[in-house]
Amino acid sequence: MKQSMYRALSALAMLALLGSSLPLQAQGVTYRIDPVHSTVLFRVKHMNTAFVYGRFNSFMGTIVVNERNPAQSSVVLEIDLNSVDTGNSQRDDHLRGPDFFNTRQFPKATFRSTRVRKLNDTTIEVQGNLTLRGVTKPLTLRVTFTGKGRNPRGQEIIGFETTFTLKRSEFGVNYGLNGGLSDEVRLTVSVEAIRQ
Amino acid sequence: MNFVLTSLLSAGLPALFAGVLWFLGGRFHRAHLWLSAVAVGGGMMLAYYLALGKPAFPTTDAQEWVFWYALGLIPLGWLMGIAAPYRWIAGWGLVLALPWLFVWLFVPLMRSEHWSLTVGMTWILVFGVGLAAMALGVASAEARLTGWQMAFLLALVGGVSAGMMFYGAKSSSFAQLAGALGLVVGIAVPVGWGMRSFRVGQGAVAMLVVLYGILWAIGFAYGQLQAPYLAVFALCMLAIALGARGASGWRFVVPLLLILLIGGGAVGMSYQTYMSASTGYE
Repeated sequence: MKQSMYRALSALAMLALLGSSLPLQAQGVTYRIDPVHSTVLFRVKHMNTAFVYGRFNSFMGTIVVNERNPAQSSVVLEIDLNSVDTGNSQRDDHLRGPDFFNTRQFPKATFRSTRVRKLNDTTIEVQGNLTLRGVTKPLTLRVTFTGKGRNPRGQEIIGFETTFTLKRSEFGVNYGLNGGLSDEVRLTVSVEAIRQ
Repeated sequence: MNFVLTSLLSAGLPALFAGVLWFLGGRFHRAHLWLSAVAVGGGMMLAYYLALGKPAFPTTDAQEWVFWYALGLIPLGWLMGIAAPYRWIAGWGLVLALPWLFVWLFVPLMRSEHWSLTVGMTWILVFGVGLAAMALGVASAEARLTGWQMAFLLALVGGVSAGMMFYGAKSSSFAQLAGALGLVVGIAVPVGWGMRSFRVGQGAVAMLVVLYGILWAIGFAYGQLQAPYLAVFALCMLAIALGARGASGWRFVVPLLLILLIGGGAVGMSYQTYMSASTGYE
């Protein structure tokens, strides 16, 4: 009698556990972007001659992956524009200032997805809004799934990468457009995210 | 088009535009107050458009207010020119209106938490009331100097402002705007030289002081201009306002020397600091 009661309770507990995990699967799995193993790079053409590269050293964000229903997946990426790094401190100061990012008024750039669509096993189309210098514009990214695994701490990790081009003038960053610096800026975002 | 050439054009065209209006204002005295206000405000708007493109309205970026303020100051400058004989009206008008300009300019910095509410409100009052006093003081000195002398002194302030925006605030676009504004009034020097009766006009002088002040305020609040350097602008304005009250032979020379000494010295110091930290970036 005691044994059968124990079995029944165990079965109930298993059911409860299973039940609680089902909505989690339906909502998707949340990953937090690991800035140490992620990169946000940009390049711009100088004097119509050569490309100059820079990066942002500080950013954060989350990725929600829903494998059953990819449309329910989402991405949020927030970049600290003060962390711009082009390898030249005077240029970085200039980029932070009123001519470019105006970081005192707009310290962050944010991308928020609005729609996610799986194109094939390794490619996802992410539509969303990029807000830079107070201007929000829609953006469509083709994102490549770069891998999944475990980090040395045993945490589940996942990787994505995307490269896209935007026109800085559309975000009100107009300084130096007359031949000094290109309007087109190419960005590469490569992220590794840790399951929460 | 060549980068240097386009930069020169973006400063030269506003000066050309203003030059025509200064000339017409010198010829047609009835329209002088209106034309001189349009020369300053329109010249600044053109300079902004050529340097930074069309600004949005309503603005998202606080700096875009420079363009809209230049537009809004045109009727105010004209009215101030008319109200010049009734100084108390112009004075109270400026004291009451100017802090509001800085509310729009500085509120975004409080929203982004760069400044606390107390700090922001303090700077709004300091800039608003301080600039009103400077605009009144310099405008009242206008009658004591000849037209070309006032234009020359204000153009010199434009040169100092451009230097400070570039080396102090580290903003090329605002250096360009300050330089263009200097040229807008500087072009009135040959016009005034050729026409004895030419005057810049008290309204236009007040507009120039306010527009310069706004550029310095942006250089400080949004750029890297250090607070002590704001005193340089105040001292240049004080030099014109007080210098012009001296003996007739010294009314032009004293402010000229003081601006060269104070403004030139400050630009020189900023240049030294900039170059000593130079990393080869251009």
